Amino acid sequence: MQYEILAKPAASVVKVNLNAGEHLTCEVGAMVAMSTRMTVETTTQKKGSSGGGIMKGLKRLFAGESLFINHFTAREDGQYIILGPTMMGDVIHHRLDNATLIVQGGSWLASDPNITIDASWQGLGKAFFSGEGAFWVKCSGSGDMFMNSFGAIYAVEVDGDYIVDTGHIVAFEDTLNFTVQKAGSSWIGSILGGEGLVCRFEGKGIVYCQSHNPSSFGYALGPSLKPRS
Amino acid sequence: MSFTITQRPDFALVTVQLQSGQTYHSEPGAMATMSPNIELKASLKGGLMSSLSRGLGGESLIISSYTAQGGGGEITFAAGQPGDAVHYALDGSTDIYLQRGAYLANSEGVEISSKWQGMRGFFSGEGLILLRAFGNGDLFFNSYGAIIELDVEDEVYVDTGFIVAFESTLNYNVTTLPGARPGTNWKSLFLGGEGLVCRFSGRGKVWIQTRQIATYLNWVHPYRPVQKNNG
Repeated sequence: MQYEILAKPAASVVKVNLNAGEHLTCEVGAMVAMSTRMTVETTTQKKGSSGGGIMKGLKRLFAGESLFINHFTAREDGQYIILGPTMMGDVIHHRLDNATLIVQGGSWLASDPNITIDASWQGLGKAFFSGEGAFWVKCSGSGDMFMNSFGAIYAVEVDGDYIVDTGHIVAFEDTLNFTVQKAGSSWIGSILGGEGLVCRFEGKGIVYCQSHNPSSFGYALGPSLKPRS
Repeated sequence: MSFTITQRPDFALVTVQLQSGQTYHSEPGAMATMSPNIELKASLKGGLMSSLSRGLGGESLIISSYTAQGGGGEITFAAGQPGDAVHYALDGSTDIYLQRGAYLANSEGVEISSKWQGMRGFFSGEGLILLRAFGNGDLFFNSYGAIIELDVEDEVYVDTGFIVAFESTLNYNVTTLPGARPGTNWKSLFLGGEGLVCRFSGRGKVWIQTRQIATYLNWVHPYRPVQKNNG
């Protein structure tokens, strides 16, 4: 599998070249264009933000609490697929070598099918993300994977302690320990400071961060938009 | 007539140098800056019927015209949304089909009309209602996100929402992805989100955009305030 990231950095897409029999697993809706000697199969993965109750169950049915995944398989050599995310921002490649990366749901774009995807991972707790459709994708195994960000993306190599606002996390290696905490010493200070919850990473490993927080952008736009009925 | 496109691919700006008496046309609102001797006229270009058909294509009925008076002048064009812009020199041999919203500007000698696709684009959110650009001259079109040029020598599938423009030498039809055909795997069609694509075959160029306004609007939707019912 060869790849090329095009149109960096604000409207990036990734072009993945596949030879006969090679596969790619990606988020549904991410396909922009592709060659024609490929087959597509859709499967689902249960998202982690589920809870009990009949109403919640009904809501889940309609609110898309499953992650829909498309599996693309090349039937001939020299096939390609171009994948793009929804938001303005960058795309990066990460190589997993018998390791695990926890990816924020909206940032997972595609991965090698040898990588196991678990969208029901809840290690960070439900309170972590308040935005709609928030979930995490646990990617384990070996192979190439692609992630997207809102705004620019940058890697922080943590060695010791590091704090990242929850809305700015794209992904992190599971070699890191983490605790969710409030940003300041008091709740009032944390909320007035605009930093509700942060994640404190400890140990050694990579955290991929995005320069912009999608929820903050959404909340900034909201009041200017026409109400939904 | 000379031009430059700067700030590609995220904030493309088209700058055109007009000679005295020359006229350029654009989508209304596309002009960003211009020399003071350029005169702007809004018109129903090409008569009422042609304008109506353009309206069907998703572009406004009115076209803005800019003429350099008593000397040369400079004018810049930018689309409403952040994105890319591409120049195409029409020479009468090949026409260009533009997805609705992709038209930015053209020189004299270029005609813009719409081509109703009927049922072909019935199910696709964007609707495959196309504008046809033909004639001799310069055409500029724009996107949301970057534009990638695909040189089709065989065939390619493009999600209908990502098509910006294509050459008339290509055959095209709206179809479903293999494995996502109704009856064989309905789940892929309805849940796959990628059920409908445009299949281009033959030889020619397709320009695709790397982002889509419709999916962005879907993302924004949950942040809209909830309507308060006062009644």
